[in-house]
Amino acid sequence: MPVSAETVPAADRVLARRLGAPPKSAAGGPPALEAHGICKSYGDRTVLENRSLRVAAGEAVAIIGENGAGKSTLMRICAGLIAPDAGSVSVAGRVGYCPQEPGLFDLLSADEHLEMFAPALGLSREQAIREGHGLLAEFAFPLAQRTQCRHLSGGSRQKLNLALALLGGARILLLDEPYQGFDHGAYVSFWEHVARWRGEGIGVVVVTHLLADQALVDRVVELEIACHAAGDEQ
Amino acid sequence: MSVRRILVTAKLTGLELARRRIALGLLTALPLAFYGGSVGRGGNAVITGGVAMAFSIAGASIFVALTARPVDPRLILAGYHPTELLLGRLLLLELFGVLVAAVFSVVMVFGSDPAHPWATAAGVGLVALTSVPFGLAVGGLSPHELEGVLVLIGVVGVQLTLYSTQLMAKFLPFWGGQRLLDHSVNPNIAVGAAVPANILYAAALFAIATYIMRRQAPRVGGAERHRPEAAASIHAV
Repeated sequence: MPVSAETVPAADRVLARRLGAPPKSAAGGPPALEAHGICKSYGDRTVLENRSLRVAAGEAVAIIGENGAGKSTLMRICAGLIAPDAGSVSVAGRVGYCPQEPGLFDLLSADEHLEMFAPALGLSREQAIREGHGLLAEFAFPLAQRTQCRHLSGGSRQKLNLALALLGGARILLLDEPYQGFDHGAYVSFWEHVARWRGEGIGVVVVTHLLADQALVDRVVELEIACHAAGDEQ
Repeated sequence: MSVRRILVTAKLTGLELARRRIALGLLTALPLAFYGGSVGRGGNAVITGGVAMAFSIAGASIFVALTARPVDPRLILAGYHPTELLLGRLLLLELFGVLVAAVFSVVMVFGSDPAHPWATAAGVGLVALTSVPFGLAVGGLSPHELEGVLVLIGVVGVQLTLYSTQLMAKFLPFWGGQRLLDHSVNPNIAVGAAVPANILYAAALFAIATYIMRRQAPRVGGAERHRPEAAASIHAV
């Protein structure tokens, strides 16, 4: 269900103007991600029923929906973290996935996380720390403190969570409510980054509940509770 | 399989474990207290202390497995193979086990003067060897630390209540080490198949831990990312 900027309240449109409205939609471009006929149930409960999603390279898509509509499940399936009961997902290149709950080692610092992810992404320790510091600095992460994650604020944990998703250069970003706990500056910076990623041809999918966000993306896809919904996107 | 990934996993597991100093101290103090409490009762103290040492090494392994669980899917998605993560943890935890076993060997050899000190050292070594895959397997299956620690207390507790000569003791994972410890204080008890049985238990437990890890890992990610499946597939274009 596309949502235009006109359906967004005036205050949110002001923020949207400040951040820059999305440029020309990239929806017709080559696909960065294509999900077809996704079904997923947990026991008797159907979470996703015949869902489809296509994201073009350089396109930003927001996924909205009620609690329990399967937004996070769809993201996890698209990321490859869980298998769907039926359906298929195709991705062009590496996927960067930022989960809703930061999956971090409480007793390790940000640098140690970057070091842990480095060999998986084919980076040296120094490359990962340099690139990671660059990303973290852009979101005003407290780099100088070198604290263990258990001592970080919720927002700082989320910034590290996001940086780990971006590390190593992904072609499609799946961001599940990525700015929980962010202050206003970091939130604005996040959307500036989305605009930049889009310009670099990266497909971006953001799960959100904020109306303002919907004016900042190319398309909005609404998921409905599976028991009374058919496919959501054609 | 990348040696660098295994070593990085081992290094950071070590850093994380080192920061659990209080928990590790308590876990090591517990079997030492078991030993100290029974040291006046002859050879039993060596068996009790040696087998109870599993609390500290398997406990540390459970903590490591459970702490890593929320992060592992992302690491695998980024490019780690589940076995690399497991081998890295196994490497570090076995080193930790060797360290703890050395401390227990020295304390018990000097504290109890067993007939065969070599068997005391070998017995605690076998207990250490099995404790790591046991802890990784239990940690992989347990929803929380509490359940994992309760299973650990149950298994080690039952092993402690049995004589190594009892049939039921042979079905428990620390029997090989227990038998060697028994032999170290009572040379009339034959070592028998203690060593191969213990190695077999350790290998089987590691296989279980690997199976659990692979089952819980993302279905597609890292090395498996390009593998299409028939009904439900995620593949690169």
